[in-house]
Amino acid sequence: MAKAVALNNERHRNLRVITKRGAEYGENTNLVPVIADELRNLVLEYPVCITKNPNNGQFSLCALLGFEPDENLFLYGDEWKAEYLPLHIRRQPFMVGHKKTSAEGDTEALIIIDTDSERVQEKEGERLFNDDGSKSSYLEEVTVILSQLISGMTSTSAFLKYLAEEDLIEPVQLSVRFSNGEQKRYEGLYTVNDEKLQKLDAARLVSMHQRGYLQAAYWLSASMGQVRKLIALKNDLIK
Amino acid sequence: MSQPVKSVVILGGGTAGWITAGTLAARFKRDQAEPVSVTLIESPNVPTIGVGEGTWPTMRNTLKRMGVRETDFIRECNVGFKQGAKFARWSTGAKEDFYYHPLVLPEGFNSHNLAPHWLAGDRSVSFSNTVCPQEALCQRNLAPKTIDTPEYAAIANYAYHLDAGKFSRFLQEHCTENLGVRHILADVSGVRESETGDIAALQTDTAGEVSGDLFIDCSGFRSKLLGEHFGIPFHSCKSVLFIDTALAVQVPYEHENSPMATHTISTAQSAGWIWDIGLQNRRGVGHVYSSAHSDESSAYRELASYLNMSEPQLDELGVRKIPIVPGHREKFWHRNCVAVGLSAGFLEPLESSALVLVEISANMIAEQFPASRAAMDVVARRFNESFLYRWDRIIDFLKLHYVLTKRKDSEFWLDNCDPVSVPDSLKELLTLWRYQPPWHDDFDRAVEVFPAASYQYVLYGMGYETKPRPGGISAPNLEMAAQLFEQKNRGLEKMLRLLQPHRDLINKIRKFGLQKI
Repeated sequence: MAKAVALNNERHRNLRVITKRGAEYGENTNLVPVIADELRNLVLEYPVCITKNPNNGQFSLCALLGFEPDENLFLYGDEWKAEYLPLHIRRQPFMVGHKKTSAEGDTEALIIIDTDSERVQEKEGERLFNDDGSKSSYLEEVTVILSQLISGMTSTSAFLKYLAEEDLIEPVQLSVRFSNGEQKRYEGLYTVNDEKLQKLDAARLVSMHQRGYLQAAYWLSASMGQVRKLIALKNDLIK
Repeated sequence: MSQPVKSVVILGGGTAGWITAGTLAARFKRDQAEPVSVTLIESPNVPTIGVGEGTWPTMRNTLKRMGVRETDFIRECNVGFKQGAKFARWSTGAKEDFYYHPLVLPEGFNSHNLAPHWLAGDRSVSFSNTVCPQEALCQRNLAPKTIDTPEYAAIANYAYHLDAGKFSRFLQEHCTENLGVRHILADVSGVRESETGDIAALQTDTAGEVSGDLFIDCSGFRSKLLGEHFGIPFHSCKSVLFIDTALAVQVPYEHENSPMATHTISTAQSAGWIWDIGLQNRRGVGHVYSSAHSDESSAYRELASYLNMSEPQLDELGVRKIPIVPGHREKFWHRNCVAVGLSAGFLEPLESSALVLVEISANMIAEQFPASRAAMDVVARRFNESFLYRWDRIIDFLKLHYVLTKRKDSEFWLDNCDPVSVPDSLKELLTLWRYQPPWHDDFDRAVEVFPAASYQYVLYGMGYETKPRPGGISAPNLEMAAQLFEQKNRGLEKMLRLLQPHRDLINKIRKFGLQKI
């Protein structure tokens, strides 16, 4: 169970965070939420698809890392075989919370730490605070990642909403066959409808381009080609 | 006679008028380079009746084809999901007497008939619960889909409960803004005939003459064009279906998050029955009865008692009395005029047959739309033949609900079982079903209003006895049935894990909306 508490430079002065990779830190997962700003880097290595949040039906972006819920084909022990790691992975075990600062409902963002995470202890890893209570350079880095994620989530849902309203999203019929003959079908994944994207009229193309949506849409659709790489990684394991 | 049909004029702005307008306009827009024009004339003074707060699952396709977003429809018309009807006290009249007519077909229904297997068993579980998962969903008030199910897609088949007044306005907006339907607010004062006897134009008080090639009469019970103008006789069905009066009332929920029923509740009374429909913001409840078997004050009393209210409390809610004349016109399409909705006929609210007939009518007009005046008479003849057949099937199906009762507590129920009141066609079916359960081939037409499954649910819900086949049931047949029952159980388990309370889903849809895909 996660135990989320507001980060405090007194109470958490001696905490350290292990920044190694590994299944023991919950990284054996096949879907990682990502933001549109990461697409440029992600699409060089992972298939990125659109998924639906089962709790509210809203679309979100996810990098696909494997074919089973607990399968991350990029993770070998403590090694993550890719140049780029999604921000969501790198932010662990921190997140952002909101504190009410006035009766009118004004809030202030603050950093939350999951003290139950396997990463959090006092023996090894990166320190969070310097001796004088100031943020360590590691924590500064995490703070930047968190703020990128917060603003990125808003712009990503605006992007996906635009795609949905323009009917540019379509379900992916993902059917794969592994070298051992096993065949599998996957549902619940969506991507950009290339055909419709190409048929957009000039006004819409300009409007999408100005928002940066056009490039993002093409990246998304192209990244589905990386499924072939996932299959190859899986076949390597089967051998 | 070979002049092209280029304009349609619809008279009446109730649900029938707007469903017809939307269905036609969407079809013309999709198929034609120069779409046939659609004009709807609505009287600013005639209030719409607003019957038919329950639909059939066909409404999903009807709305989708019009290009309506299901999310908008659900939000703006106070819509609830309807997964069938629960019939209480129809069979024995006892307090615990009830059965369901769900919308999900029996498992494997396209190729396998499970009725003989249920009949041969111990029947400790209801027919509906044995062959289909939906009664269990209804009993728990679970929604038929989840927030990540696309618009119009279902996990368990569903129809809608809707606010008819809001629905008309919603469709009006969609039709005028997105489908190019011209909307005229005016009273029709007369009809101008051409020399051939067709309707050439409708004369209005404030908008001059509105001419057209095809006129669709959606003017409600008055049947202004088909009935009043052309004098097409009315065929009464009162000797079969006795209901002739409705007392309707809107009942508020206890609080805004009260559970919403996900099925119509129909509870039999001494001389009729009470409908109970859950919308988002209120329930629609009404008592329909036979005035030959009861009077208004008894009906009023029974309605108050159903609602656990005193009569003064019920007074405060404002009960509306609506007369019903059960029957239909002898034909529906005459010359260049076709009636859709109440102007064509009405029986009673049982099984929500009114709106589905409007949809089927509008669809058939759209699909077989006469390209020229010369083709119109052929289309009209087919239309009339097809709808006379459909009305007869609906009359039989509604009567089935009454004729199977074991109640003997009032003249109403006794008279309903009197063979004199039962159409020959239904008598014949009942004889057939004495010896074999309803199956697809029992019915003639490709587009039946009610599938054979509906007859099974009512027959075996009401405890009708179909004798076992003399040859028994073979081992492979038994094995197949066992597999289907198992499949149904697995399906139900999955649904119970996945589905959440109806009210919760409605709240989520209000907040987040459903996706188109």
